Amino acid sequence: MSEVRRDHSMFDAELSGAILNLQLFVRILKWLKPYRVTLAVSACLILISSTCVVTMEIVISRVLVDYIVSGVTESNMPDLGMIELTQWIHEQTGLDLVLSAGLLFAVLMILFGLTAHFHRLTLVSSIVRALRDLRQDLFAHMETRPSSFYDKVAVGRIMTRITNDVEALYEMLRGMGSLIGEFVPFLVALTIMFSTSVKMTLILLLLVPIVGITTYFFRRASREVFRLVRNSVSALNQNLQENLSGIQVVQLSERQQRNLDVYTQINKNNRRYEFRSINLSTFYGAFNDSLASIGLGLIIWYGGGSAIQDEMTLGGVILFTRFMNMLFTPVVMLGEQLNVLFRAMASGERIFQALDWDEQIHEPVEPANLPDRIAGKLEFRHVNFEYDRGAPILKDVSFTLEPGKKMAIVGPTGSGKSTMIRLLGRFYDFDRGMIFLDDVDLNDIHSSDLRRRIGVVLQDFHIFSGSVIDNIILGNPGITRERAIEAARTVNADSFIERLPQGYDTPLVERGANLSQGQRQLLAFARVLAADPEILILDEATASIDTETELLIQDGLRKLLEGRTSILIAHRLQTIQEADQVLVLHHGVVREFGTHEELLALKGIYYTLHEFQFQDVSLDDDGNPITEESEES
Amino acid sequence: MAQLKIVVTATRPLNSLYKLLPFVKPYQWQIYGAFSTFFVARFFEVNTLYLVSYGLDTIKLQLEGESTPYSLAQIALAIVGTVTGRFVFVVHARRAVRRAGMSVSFDLRQKLYDSVQQQGSDFFSRMGVGDIMTRAIQDIALIQRLVAFGSVQMVIIFYAPFFALSYMLSKSVSLTLLITPLFPILFFYGKWISSRMAIASREVQERLSGLSSHVQENLGGIRTVQAMAQEQNEIGRFWETNDAYGRAFYRQARIESLMHAWMPFFASAAQLVIVTYGGYQVMQGEMTVGDLLFFLFAINMLLQPIRMAGTFVTLIQRASVGMGRLSEIFDAEPEIVDAPSGAAPATVRGEFELRHLTFSYPGIQTPALDDINLHIRAGESIGIVGRVGAGKSTLLKQFTRMCDTNRGQLFLDGHDVCDYPLAQLRSQVAQVLQDPFMFGEPLKNNISYDDPERGLDSVWDAADSAALRGTIEEFPAQMDTVVGERGVTLSGGQKQRATLARGLIRNAPVLILDDCFSSVDTETEEHILARLKSMRSDKTTILVSHRVSTLRHCDRILVLEEGRIAELGSHEELLRANGIYAALERIQTQGADPRQGLEDLEVSPA
Repeated sequence: MSEVRRDHSMFDAELSGAILNLQLFVRILKWLKPYRVTLAVSACLILISSTCVVTMEIVISRVLVDYIVSGVTESNMPDLGMIELTQWIHEQTGLDLVLSAGLLFAVLMILFGLTAHFHRLTLVSSIVRALRDLRQDLFAHMETRPSSFYDKVAVGRIMTRITNDVEALYEMLRGMGSLIGEFVPFLVALTIMFSTSVKMTLILLLLVPIVGITTYFFRRASREVFRLVRNSVSALNQNLQENLSGIQVVQLSERQQRNLDVYTQINKNNRRYEFRSINLSTFYGAFNDSLASIGLGLIIWYGGGSAIQDEMTLGGVILFTRFMNMLFTPVVMLGEQLNVLFRAMASGERIFQALDWDEQIHEPVEPANLPDRIAGKLEFRHVNFEYDRGAPILKDVSFTLEPGKKMAIVGPTGSGKSTMIRLLGRFYDFDRGMIFLDDVDLNDIHSSDLRRRIGVVLQDFHIFSGSVIDNIILGNPGITRERAIEAARTVNADSFIERLPQGYDTPLVERGANLSQGQRQLLAFARVLAADPEILILDEATASIDTETELLIQDGLRKLLEGRTSILIAHRLQTIQEADQVLVLHHGVVREFGTHEELLALKGIYYTLHEFQFQDVSLDDDGNPITEESEES
Repeated sequence: MAQLKIVVTATRPLNSLYKLLPFVKPYQWQIYGAFSTFFVARFFEVNTLYLVSYGLDTIKLQLEGESTPYSLAQIALAIVGTVTGRFVFVVHARRAVRRAGMSVSFDLRQKLYDSVQQQGSDFFSRMGVGDIMTRAIQDIALIQRLVAFGSVQMVIIFYAPFFALSYMLSKSVSLTLLITPLFPILFFYGKWISSRMAIASREVQERLSGLSSHVQENLGGIRTVQAMAQEQNEIGRFWETNDAYGRAFYRQARIESLMHAWMPFFASAAQLVIVTYGGYQVMQGEMTVGDLLFFLFAINMLLQPIRMAGTFVTLIQRASVGMGRLSEIFDAEPEIVDAPSGAAPATVRGEFELRHLTFSYPGIQTPALDDINLHIRAGESIGIVGRVGAGKSTLLKQFTRMCDTNRGQLFLDGHDVCDYPLAQLRSQVAQVLQDPFMFGEPLKNNISYDDPERGLDSVWDAADSAALRGTIEEFPAQMDTVVGERGVTLSGGQKQRATLARGLIRNAPVLILDDCFSSVDTETEEHILARLKSMRSDKTTILVSHRVSTLRHCDRILVLEEGRIAELGSHEELLRANGIYAALERIQTQGADPRQGLEDLEVSPA
């Protein structure tokens, strides 16, 4: 085992995400790159639309108020050629000056609306497509991680990465897009304002840090409150959910009043924190609204004064009042975007950690060419295996299984039975020269080729959403509907399927919840039989099923095993008795090997397990059962 | 989910809103108070604009060298005054309505919790845990939003046009009349686009949850996927879900962007009218420049409510639907009526009599229990066996009235079970359920769940009796080990033994065990049964099991078939009778020819 040991707890750890990670942006660029043309168009459009919105204000203040109404021809305020344009329209159309200005205003307005709309469309479309691609890559990457990965990492953790974390990146990119959409007009307006009156602009800019500082303090104060609110909300939901799941126990124990009291306390806590957060956010929100209006007061007072001293025109004063909002909106928005940004940082880190997780099964460079149909001889040659260094699971396991023979593996809990199965399916990497299929080293066979030839029925047979027939065919183009139905009939699944409302086309809900345990098991048999693998591996389910279904399953299993080399982790006496050989595994060592009768006669571990009806029991080193009794004595 | 959607579209949208009234009533004065404070705030707001335009006129007059009644500094100070006034009132009003919204949702949560605790199995079979959780989280949030933000929107919808229009009319009637035709257009456009928006965002929500469940289902079965070499197929399948979500998202963004583009467009159209027509009036001296600017500012005050009207209507509709869904929980009558007659004794001995006990679940023709007659002596142990669906669990539910037991059919110590107070009945008839449920709390709280004040000694005693001591001693935190979803995961057998301890600790006159040994190995089970026998020699025990090795310990065994008693007697008697029980015994102990057993089992139902 040369492979690097991995610390899977890394995958579960809360990543900091607090620091600005520029590398993250660089990496996201890779997915944005295919849409760079669209993004460039989007950037051009925002420039045009910002210029339009600023120019519209100039038409009002410089052209209408100053030039037309007040008759001012000379002014500090740039007119961006609007006066000439108005004159031109006036001369071309014969309309008077006010109407010409109005027409110009209308044209700018339409141009603004169109460019802003297409700016947003191009921006969203490129972000959505880029993140769709990222999500697809992430999913494909996760889909091909090996079992050793899924053993250690909870599925929920991966799920959040594919759903929530990608969403958080969208929020961030979209937020950055709209921030740019606010800052470009901000800068254009600022340029105009500076050239109109430097002093006035500087005075107004003094208000900007105030917004920044209040935003900073509000974020700091609210972070703790928001955390308390979040925690109390999840405590509320958790309590309710648990109480509902255990409602029968609650009612049988007459705990209703006591539980309501506990819930009331949590509910009160939640209300207290919510009240606190309401106090903070109403104050902050109203404060930000007010600053822009205070700015208006400043403009009238100072701007008015300088207008009278001939430093500014009336139109200039009006222009400033119109630009007030453009000055504050981006700063307030920036404050709001910071939270999104930090969240997205953490999300991005999680996503790229997942994408960088390169754990995988080693595939052969030149895979062996197996014939279409193999005989199915299996050999374990001194197999040693450990998941974690120093904790061997299998020790020197050797056996040969001739084509078409059946072998049952029995052993107490933790003896290494499941590991043997996992090695055979190449779900884990192991050294060369240990396991052979028709005398070919398993390491020389590509895992996808191998898995076509080895049918595995796991204990938790998974049912996919889709119809019954879909679940048997599983997208394999080589299986016809007839063949699938034939397989279901052979393993006794036919009778219950026919009774379903739409027969083979009945949709199965999530994880086959509308089927019983026994029915799901039969369906799993049908699925494997339809695929017709040369070798069959079965981890028999232990769940208690009523005797009648049990007999159907036994019979289905017998047909499934017919003529196939099979390895069975057996829990039922019936299954074991019908096997050609029985291998008794204990602490990873083959302790007994032979037929049912031979092993019973040995009066060893097999005999003890037989006494325990092959339930999952624990045995001590000598093969004696560990129960509460023997622990005490 | 499909059913819920039908409900949403089928019921009239505002029907359920009146049910919200009793919840809002305690806070009505708080809300009325906020409405008047909002009114004052709006007054200040419109005056700020008025003062700004007045200031501009003053500047113009001073530029023309005329004297003005107020200096610019005075006007600026007045602006600061109105802004401060608005700030104070707005903070107060917003805070009041948002606190009211929070308080309403607090009360709704209390009511919901109290209501669901009183419901029985029929209710929970109609409404799953997930469904109730969705109502508790989403529907309550909708109502909170209606009270907290809906009222603010309503205020804006009524107050803003009132103030804006009255000031505009006072400044120029003709200009005001010129721009008013735009508003109905805007209103209908707003309504239309927000309904399209609602459809689009619903689609996005559905696609997103589709995406989540796709990923969850796929990763949940990743071993099967890989074992069947289905990875490439699955990646392709995921592309469809993924791309569909992306496209739905883009569609929503397009409608949103269109809304953002059109609203300012209409606003600008109004501005265009103001600029040209107002420009003329200013030129002719009928209006001042300040008035013109006031119109330009006030137009936003007028547009705001129209922009909001669409979302406001949606908010009311959704909150109403949410209230309707909550009422389904609030209005559900508890299935089990607790009406003790007072005649029942305070302590029971544990003698049961079943007289023609018949029980049917609502909506199902064939009775689950059909004419059962049985006398259980105090101190007797009864084993029950039968196939899935034979009525075992239903029968057990009758003893603790977890089903609405019919009057006159089940008697405990000679009194109808319906005459006992529910709390007494359930404390003296202890039942251990088939599903071993653990609360996310320390083990000791789980075991002494019915009475957390019990001493630790009795908890350990119960753990002993359930053969759980050894397991608990292996945990570092011992009895304080937190179990359940967020704690230590117990194996199936450990959970069963812990729930068994929960039942045993009560030392009740009657103990009912519903298939509690299925995951416990046979030797431990023998050990527990022996302990039970000595502990409960004088008390009644009723247990359900599939295993003959368990049942044989009981004084009498009852075989249920399709809700009727098929066989009744001691282990030996039933073996001699050579019926269903005897067949079961043969299959389980000898592992003999299964064909033989199957035929035997199929003979009896008839």
